Amino acid sequence: MTPKKYWSPYLAGVGLGLVLLAAFFIAGHGLGASGSMMRSVVAVEKVISQERVDSNKYLAGYGGGDTNPLYDWYIFELVGVLIGGVISGTLAGRMKKETNHGPRITKQKRWVFAVIGGALFGFGARLARGCTSGMALSGGAALSLGAWVTMMSIFAGAYILAFVFRKLWI
Amino acid sequence: MFAPLEVMGDFKMEISLLIAVLIGIGFGFFLERAGFGNSRKLALQFYLRDLTVFKVMFTAIVTAMTGMIFFNAFGWLDLDSIYINPTYLWPGIVGGLIMGAGFIVGGY
Repeated sequence: MTPKKYWSPYLAGVGLGLVLLAAFFIAGHGLGASGSMMRSVVAVEKVISQERVDSNKYLAGYGGGDTNPLYDWYIFELVGVLIGGVISGTLAGRMKKETNHGPRITKQKRWVFAVIGGALFGFGARLARGCTSGMALSGGAALSLGAWVTMMSIFAGAYILAFVFRKLWI
Repeated sequence: MFAPLEVMGDFKMEISLLIAVLIGIGFGFFLERAGFGNSRKLALQFYLRDLTVFKVMFTAIVTAMTGMIFFNAFGWLDLDSIYINPTYLWPGIVGGLIMGAGFIVGGY
């Protein structure tokens, strides 16, 4: 089946906004993504060395002692995100294995850059205490000053470097 | 004011986590509907060739923000009880710039 067209960004935006509103109305906080990644990393670190997790104040806050870093609202939300994405992709006929990149680079190079970019993004997200979901989207809707500053900084960082990395995408 | 429901009421952790899964399903569904599963589509915003991200993101922010203001005006939602990200200016700026670099390099 040929993939269906994406929804109008305004329609999808209203849908996303209502989900975000529901999160605030029910749970009292917004959505998130990078925090769950960090919690997953802490869970792996716990398996390797509980001592190391306990000795680091930041990590101990999530997985110190008997604390299970995965028993958390955002981890379960992220499981839902995967399910929701699969439902939408399947219904639209878009579920397939693919590597998205511009016409001027190879698939292999794209994967190398994906790992480097992912590491940068993860580091930046911890430094800023949130990513595009938890900080820009959720904090933005709650009118947090810091969230708007971070949101603008994310766009600024990407626009500044867009020319340098143009071969990846166009 | 009776909302945020989980802050005002007494929710079992299991119920709270079930709600988290359901909200997550909505989140993932609309992200995929908008085309956020495609990294090139996301990256093309930085070449001004596809502005889906801006449209989706700001429509979502305005929708949620307006909803919260109305729910507060109706006397339902206590805005002092919702989590508002604290501001740490320099970490926010530097972290944001690094995320931006990661975004254009990695595509998400």
